[in-house]
Amino acid sequence: MGAVKEALVRVAGLVFAAAYAAFIVSVYARQPSTVRQLAGGVAASVGAYRVDPVNFQEGLRFFRGDQFPEARAAFERADPARQDAQTQFYIAYSYYRQGWGRVYKDDALYRQGLEAVDRAIGRAPGGRLVVSDATLHMHTADELRAELQRGLVRELSDLNPMKVLEERK
Amino acid sequence: MTRPLPAAREAIILPALFLTVAGAGGLRVAPGGGMSFVPPPLITLVLAVLLLGVMARAGLLIPTGLLGDHRTGLENASGAVVVLALFAASAQLFTCLTPDAGVLRLVFNLFFLFLLWNTLAAQPDRTRLLRSLLVVFGWAYVVRYVALAALADPQAGWTRRLLTVLLEGATSGPIEGEAIAPLAGYVAFATVALYMIGLVLLPRPAATTVALVAPDVVDAP
Repeated sequence: MGAVKEALVRVAGLVFAAAYAAFIVSVYARQPSTVRQLAGGVAASVGAYRVDPVNFQEGLRFFRGDQFPEARAAFERADPARQDAQTQFYIAYSYYRQGWGRVYKDDALYRQGLEAVDRAIGRAPGGRLVVSDATLHMHTADELRAELQRGLVRELSDLNPMKVLEERK
Repeated sequence: MTRPLPAAREAIILPALFLTVAGAGGLRVAPGGGMSFVPPPLITLVLAVLLLGVMARAGLLIPTGLLGDHRTGLENASGAVVVLALFAASAQLFTCLTPDAGVLRLVFNLFFLFLLWNTLAAQPDRTRLLRSLLVVFGWAYVVRYVALAALADPQAGWTRRLLTVLLEGATSGPIEGEAIAPLAGYVAFATVALYMIGLVLLPRPAATTVALVAPDVVDAP
């Protein structure tokens, strides 16, 4: 083997090893829990991941009709690898709206919402996510996250009877 | 001195093998199908250092075959990648073969620690170390992915009953098995196999040439 060819092989090997090691580290950091999530993560890392628009629109329709479990099922189909920030935002919002009550908040749903909004923030470029949807009262992932966190905190002001007049966002 | 490795083997095949082991070693598949990736616990880093020491002492890992002043910068970079990948693979192989929690985890780690220590003291040669590692990793695989998995599987039938009878009296209480998906066993098997193949492909010491010189024939007077 010529010296130049050998050098090329070694350079190619170094590039390959660096890329492969980076991929393994990213998998360990993202912790995909299904093969679809793993494959989606790979596709997203090379910019080839796309959300299914039909299922996304169906999810939006269910979401706006207050059919939250159905909406989440459609959103999960649209974004099976949980790589799309906007879809994860809507999933988190659906947990918020389903868990919201005038006299109590459903902690289990709020916690799941918090997980989803954290995923959305993690996937958004620079961690900043703005969703321009006129039907929503909260347009940023930060607002939604803060609202979900507030719902999980027990404090004296929870006993304030005026709280029943609060509106769902 | 070592036999020179083909560039493709050193730069591509060995890193690919060892990085695959490093990646797959931490994979856990739950019986329900959920996956998770376990990073190497600190003890496995210690075991990996010890294992690399044992390999260097036995001539299985020859540092001068991968790194040194006699090599170019590019060759040294390739060699460093192989050593780092081997270290990561070794750490994750121990993660793969060790239960994730409980007393058994401690027992497995102590078993590996004392065995490596003993091997270090015994100073085996390359071939014997390869055989020894095959037996050690093979037994750890069988215990974790066959015996312990059978103990946790209520449908394992006579295998489970046999193991329970064998272990009766050996411990103060029942040994808890570990619920493992069958896929995890296959992945672990492939992981161990790839690691051993990688070890076989590491640079070998150069064959010593022995010159047989016939003594001068002295003619009898």
